[in-house]
Amino acid sequence: MQQFRWVGRPIPRLDALDKAVGRTKYPSDYYMDNMLWGKVLRSKYPHAKILSIDVSKALKHPGVVAVFTHKDIPNNRFGLFHKDRPVLCDDKVRYIGDPVALVAAETPEAAEDAANLIDVRYEPLPVVDDVFKAVEGDGAKVHERGNVARQTRITFGDVEEAFDNAEVIVENTYRTGAQIHAYLETEAGLSYIDEKGRITIVSCGQSPYRDKKEICETLALPEEKVRVIIPPVGGAFGGKDDISVQIFLALITLKTGRPAKMFLSREESTISSTKRHMAYITMKTAADKNGKLLANQTEIILDTGAYEGLGPAVLDVAIENCNGPYKIPNIDIKAKLVYTNNYFASAFRGFGAPQVMFAIESQVDAIAEKLGLDPIEIRLRNVVRRGDYGVFRNKIEGSVGIADALEKARMHELWLRRDDIRKTRHRPWIRQGVGVAAAVKGYTIGALPDKGVVGIELTTDGRFIIKLSSTEIGQGVVAAIAQIAADMLSCHLKNIEIKAADTSQTPDTSVTSASRQLYLAGNALRKASEEMIKKLITAFSIATGEPAYNASVSDGYVVSTSTGRRLSYSEAARILEEKGIGREAFGEYEVPRTTPIPGTLEIPHLFYMYAAAIAHVEVNILTGVVKVKKLVLLPDAGRVINPQTFTGQVEGAAAQGIGYAVLEDAKIEQGILRTINLSTYLIPSIKDAPAMEVIPIETTEDTGPLGAKGVGEIGIIPVAPAVANAIKHATGVRVLEVPITPERLYRRLKEAGQNTPR
Amino acid sequence: MRRRVVRFILNGEEVEVYVPPAFTLLEVLRDVLHLTGTKDGCSDGDCGACTVLLDGKAVHSCLTIMAQVEGREVTTVEGLAGDGEPDVVQKAYVETGAIQCGYCIPGFIMATKALLTANPSPSEDDILEALRGNLCRCTGYVKIVEAVKKAVEEAGR
Repeated sequence: MQQFRWVGRPIPRLDALDKAVGRTKYPSDYYMDNMLWGKVLRSKYPHAKILSIDVSKALKHPGVVAVFTHKDIPNNRFGLFHKDRPVLCDDKVRYIGDPVALVAAETPEAAEDAANLIDVRYEPLPVVDDVFKAVEGDGAKVHERGNVARQTRITFGDVEEAFDNAEVIVENTYRTGAQIHAYLETEAGLSYIDEKGRITIVSCGQSPYRDKKEICETLALPEEKVRVIIPPVGGAFGGKDDISVQIFLALITLKTGRPAKMFLSREESTISSTKRHMAYITMKTAADKNGKLLANQTEIILDTGAYEGLGPAVLDVAIENCNGPYKIPNIDIKAKLVYTNNYFASAFRGFGAPQVMFAIESQVDAIAEKLGLDPIEIRLRNVVRRGDYGVFRNKIEGSVGIADALEKARMHELWLRRDDIRKTRHRPWIRQGVGVAAAVKGYTIGALPDKGVVGIELTTDGRFIIKLSSTEIGQGVVAAIAQIAADMLSCHLKNIEIKAADTSQTPDTSVTSASRQLYLAGNALRKASEEMIKKLITAFSIATGEPAYNASVSDGYVVSTSTGRRLSYSEAARILEEKGIGREAFGEYEVPRTTPIPGTLEIPHLFYMYAAAIAHVEVNILTGVVKVKKLVLLPDAGRVINPQTFTGQVEGAAAQGIGYAVLEDAKIEQGILRTINLSTYLIPSIKDAPAMEVIPIETTEDTGPLGAKGVGEIGIIPVAPAVANAIKHATGVRVLEVPITPERLYRRLKEAGQNTPR
Repeated sequence: MRRRVVRFILNGEEVEVYVPPAFTLLEVLRDVLHLTGTKDGCSDGDCGACTVLLDGKAVHSCLTIMAQVEGREVTTVEGLAGDGEPDVVQKAYVETGAIQCGYCIPGFIMATKALLTANPSPSEDDILEALRGNLCRCTGYVKIVEAVKKAVEEAGR
């Protein structure tokens, strides 16, 4: 593998020091003189008709400047796939987080008090609190179009014939719970009118250009009147992909001319923000006597709640990955996206893959057990390799590291000690086990069109400013891009400055999601760098009279390969300026894609990320409590740009996977979320997080920037099935539902007669 | 709301605010003084993002009302860095890659500072115990534990 000066080194992130000393301004940290505070009144009911909204008392409340309702929204429906979401509810409310009115007041207290004075009369409607009721139930409709937002069926080969010829068939129904993002910074932002008269929204988000588009469309504002800035965000994980406070802020400033601030309370954030889709997955999987997978018949139902959000795409990702990283010749997938009044589900790291991977990886383990095969061996006999055709008859041309990951897992000491660990009993009521799982997910947005632009400005003192609209949501993309830029432009890392995510200053680099900003922005940066280097060399030719083909760039200089003459970047900048050539370069990159197969939006992807995970668990059979002792993660990493950021991403994703697997239980009863804060919805604390070991499987993605590929989501995907398989290894009990809470596991252990200490 | 003057020492300097005495220290730091290094993750004592030092001990500023702060010494993450030079704890968090989104980090750094002041050579269990009230959603805590160990090492030099 080629070596670079900056790429591949564990350099501390450029933005870390400012964050450590409290200098970084997050969306919630902005204040302005004369600003108003915005407060949303949200629905009292999961499902109700709005009969009337009376804001007169609220308007008279001291300190209140304005109260807004749906009447103030010119285009009151928005959404990325289907415009089904109101900015402020008009005819109905569809979940308890639904916004009904917006108050702008001089203080947060006045705004909150006034919101409580708004008199909304509702007529409660039957609550659609279950996907099966939604589809077959009493006819209560969440939306007029019916409760099935999307359904599709994808088949290849003939599953029935394969089932007839199979040695072993395993059929199970799996359920996975809603997961709450629980980013530490709740939704927040500030709006004001900037020096050019633009309504400027500084807020959380994952895509400044898309947020701007939705603000302009709903409020009927021309594009040039709105500016969106996304500063470093206090965590997102997909939960800030959809609009939260942005349109409200723009509305207040538009109508009052004053700056406005919003910062949701933890409870309001938890109730109103998007969640991971609850899933119901039935799978019938067949294999021959050698463990070769023959067929997989899958039915997936995702509960998207009140609105679609990114649900249609989440459903696609669930469909695309429900066969795991395996070659299975016969598949039949029925999939539905269903409206309910439970919540509002949309993007969350993994985006449909964690749900289906839990199912398929439990299935494969069960088949291995029936056939008496080693769980890693059976996976290796079926995994896709580079150049193979996938389940959708798509040629897998990107880098594929799953076989290597599983081979490494097989030699890992934790796996080698598997049976010894199981036999070891420190206490009569503790059982130990070790489980494995593989995972796959496409990065990029598959067959959907996707392109991004990155700009480079050469400053007069010879430094570079990289301009892009990637959003720094914690993942470290900004620092990684800087590292790549320093190598591509051949300069010291300290001479790279990043300007990110301001629609008035940075070009559209598309949304920060789908584990692909590094890939997308990195490739656009490569093109911009090539342009920039051409300009630098042009300056050199002007200065020296030497032909361009003699020159190359090296550590801050353009150097002649024949005469050794050189020109510093700052001198080059001066020449470019004088000659009117310009000191800016842009690169546009369009992500390669195929045409979608019939019945899908974006299947297949051209690029996939993979991982294997080994989990070591301890189960207390008297309480059902699972302690994950150790987690080994083997992600297919492409070229690692920064090993420190890379392992941090994987560890963090895996910790969310632990939460998903055993801890995070979003309790929703008849459409009412009961776990609305961090003392009832428990995310892993430092005491819950297991020991983790990350072993990168370095492959080279030829199309990626310097060989890099996506990694943001893959760490979470194999964790829940690896934990479930470890619990099976420890106790003999297979759990078909996540989170595997103590109550659930205890019940299963008891049913199986496995809760006697000995 | 009735207001009164509250005087206290903030990052070494005497300050005076005119606020309702039931205002929390967190509200005063952020909404009144706009000293935003101290973060608000839940306003409820669950997440630890708002941790500051009160007379050297780690407290949740969201659960500390101004009446309790009168005459006492408050240190926030901005006050740790003396003369622009970051504290050894801050440096350790940066160097170990313990900072991703970083919103929880000021709280972790203050809790770590309090731990190291009380116990300059904590065991791994001591570290976990001291930081159990601080939540991080990005890192999985591996590098945070590394950061504390590194800070212990560096401070001992």
